[in-house]
Amino acid sequence: MTTFNKIIIGIAALWLIGAMFVFSVNETEKAIKFKFGKIVEYDFTPGLHFKWPYPFNDIKKFDGRIQTMVSKPEGFLTAEKKNVFVDFFVKWRVDDVSSFYQRVAGDVYQANNRLDPIIKDAFRGEFARRDIKQLVSTDRKAIRDIMISNSQASAKNLGLKIIDIQVMRIDLPPEVSTSVFRRMEAERERIAREFRSQGSEAAEKIRADADRQSVVTKANAFKDAEKLRGEGDAKSSEIYAKAFGADPEFYNFYRSLNAYKKTFNKSSTLVLDADSEFFRYFKHQK
Amino acid sequence: MSWNEPGGDNKDPWSGRGEQKGPPDLDEAIRKALDKLSNLFGGSGGGDGQESTGGQGKNLGLIAVGAVAAIWVASGTYKVDAGNIGVVTRFGKYVEETNPGLNWHLPIPIERVDIVNVEQNRTLAVGFSNVGEAGDRSEPKEALMLTRDENYVDVRLVVQYKVSNLSNSAKKFLFNVVDPATTLKQVTESAERGVIGSSDMDFVLTEGRNEVVAQVKKEIQEVMDRYESGIEITSVNLQDVQAPEQVQAAFQDVIKAREDKQRLINESEAYSNDIVPKARGAAARMLQEAEGYKERVIAQAEGETNRFSRMLGEYLKQPDVTRKRLYIDTMESVLGESNLVLIDAKGGNNILYLPLDKMAQKLPEIETQSVTPPAKAESSPAEAEEPITVRPTSRGRDVRGR
Repeated sequence: MTTFNKIIIGIAALWLIGAMFVFSVNETEKAIKFKFGKIVEYDFTPGLHFKWPYPFNDIKKFDGRIQTMVSKPEGFLTAEKKNVFVDFFVKWRVDDVSSFYQRVAGDVYQANNRLDPIIKDAFRGEFARRDIKQLVSTDRKAIRDIMISNSQASAKNLGLKIIDIQVMRIDLPPEVSTSVFRRMEAERERIAREFRSQGSEAAEKIRADADRQSVVTKANAFKDAEKLRGEGDAKSSEIYAKAFGADPEFYNFYRSLNAYKKTFNKSSTLVLDADSEFFRYFKHQK
Repeated sequence: MSWNEPGGDNKDPWSGRGEQKGPPDLDEAIRKALDKLSNLFGGSGGGDGQESTGGQGKNLGLIAVGAVAAIWVASGTYKVDAGNIGVVTRFGKYVEETNPGLNWHLPIPIERVDIVNVEQNRTLAVGFSNVGEAGDRSEPKEALMLTRDENYVDVRLVVQYKVSNLSNSAKKFLFNVVDPATTLKQVTESAERGVIGSSDMDFVLTEGRNEVVAQVKKEIQEVMDRYESGIEITSVNLQDVQAPEQVQAAFQDVIKAREDKQRLINESEAYSNDIVPKARGAAARMLQEAEGYKERVIAQAEGETNRFSRMLGEYLKQPDVTRKRLYIDTMESVLGESNLVLIDAKGGNNILYLPLDKMAQKLPEIETQSVTPPAKAESSPAEAEEPITVRPTSRGRDVRGR
C-alpha cells in the first residue's frame, strides 16, 4: 500500500517538478519568457524548453499562424471621383512576438483594429490614383504589391508581417449600379432588336429570292413554250401552203364551202334570193 | 532533482518487457527495482518496516501500478486510416508524418498525433450556399461582380480541394493558417473577381467559361501555396454564370430574339420551298402544253392537207361535176339546218319586214345550245387557224379536250 502510494506520489512529484521547470512550444505558437515581468527571451523554436518556476519566470504563448483581418465594405473615391465600395482582407502573422505583445498586448482583435486604419489609408491613396476600370480589371495585382510593401513598415511596428492584402469586392454605389443595370438592359434590347431585324432581313431576302426564282422559271418556261408553239405554227403553215398551193382556186372554193358549213347553224336565219345559183332549178325545172 | 534518475530507471523495465511475462516476473522485477530504490535512499527505515508487514497489499499495489503504466504505454498506439496522414509532434515540435496502418508514438504528454485526411475532397461554394435538398440559395453579395466592360455578372462557383498528399503538406495544413477553409473562401472570392474583372461580360458568359475556370484555379493555388496552406485545389467549377437577376428578363429576351431570328428564316425557307418547286411544276406544264400544241397543230395541218390533196386529186379528174356536187352538198347541209326565208321578188321594191331584233334576242341562248359544229365542218381550215389567237389558259383545255 505504502509503496504504491510512494510510487504514485513519486510520479506526481516528478510531473509537478517537470511542469514547473519546462514548457513546450507548439509548431503553431510563439512564446515569450518573462522574468519578473521583463521579457527575457522570445524566439523559441517548437519543442521543450527550460524555465524557472513561476515567480521567477513566466511564459506567454501566442498564435503564430496566419491570421486574417477582414474589413467591412467602405467607400473609396476613385480618380474619376466615383465612390466605390470596397472590402478586402489582410493576411498577417506574428513576426516579432515581443513587439506584438508590447504594442497590441498580443491580442489578435486589437491587432486587427490597429491594422485596419493603416491599410485603409494606404488603399485610399491607391484608389484615388486610379479609375474604376483599372481597379476592377488591370491593376489588382499592382495594388496588391504596392499595398503589401507600403504597409509592411507599419505592420512591423506592431510586430506583424503582412503576408497578403487582397481586394475582394469592388462595388459601385447603389444608384450607379442601377444605371449599370439599365444600361445593360438597353444593350440587350439593342442586341435583341438586331437579331430580330436580321431575322426579318434574311427572311425577306429568302422570300424575294424564291419569288424571283418562281417568276423567272415561269417566264423562261413561257419563252420556251412560245417558241415551241411558233415552231408548230410555222410548220403547219408550211404544210398548208405546200398543199393548198397546188390549186389555189380550188382551195378557195373548198375552203369557202367549209366556212359556210361552219358559219351557219340552226339558229341562223338566212334571207335568200330565189335567183341564186342554188335555187336555179327551184323555179325552172328544165 | 535526484528523483528524476531512479524514475527514469523504473520506466525502462516496464516499457521494455510488456505484459506477456506475467505477474510473478514483473512482481520480482518491481521488487528488485524497489529494493535498489530503498538502498539508494538508505535512511528511510520506517518505510521498510511497513513494506515487510504488508507484503500482500504491496504486491497488489505494484500490479495496479504496472497495469496503469502498461495502459499508459499502450495509449501511444494509434491507427491511421487509408488516405490519412498522422502528424506527430513531440512537446509541440513536429517530428514526423506517419503513413496508414498501426503506429505508436510516445504516450501523451510527450508526443501527440494529429490525423489529417489527405484524400477526402472538400467542397466550398462561393456565390451561393448549398442548402441541401431544398436547393441552392443565392448569395447575391458574393455572386455579383463587375466585369471589365463594367457590367455585372452573377457567378456561382464550387471549389473542390483537399489537403495535398505531398510530404509536409499535412504539417502545413495543421500549422500555418488559422482557418484554412475560410481563407480559401476569401482567396477564391478575390481571385474570381480578379479574373472576371479582367474579362468582358460576353466572354465570361459564353466561350470564356473554361478559361475563366482555369485562371481562377491557377490563381487560388498560387495564393494558397504562398500561404503554405498545404491545400491542393482539385477542381474549380463554374456552377452558373449568368446575368444578374435585375436584367435577367432582358437577357432572356435576347435568347428569344435569337430564336425569333431563326424562326423567321425557317418560315421564309418554308415559303421558298413551297413556291419554287411549284413554279418549276408550272413551267414544266407550260412546256408540255406548248409541245402538245405544236404537235397537235402540225398533225392537224398534215391531216387537213392530206384530205385536201386527196380531194384535189379527184377534183382534177372531173372539175365541173365535183365542183357542183360539193357546192350543192354544202348548201344542202347549210340551208338544211338554218331558218330559211326565201324571197322571190324580182326587182321588187316591196318593203320587207323582218323581226331582226327578236331574232337577235334569241341568239345568245341558242348559241350556247348549238356549240357542236356541223359534223362535216369540224376539220375545216378555219378552225385550224383559230387556236393561234386563243389565250394560253384556254389552250390547255383545248389540248386536253382532244
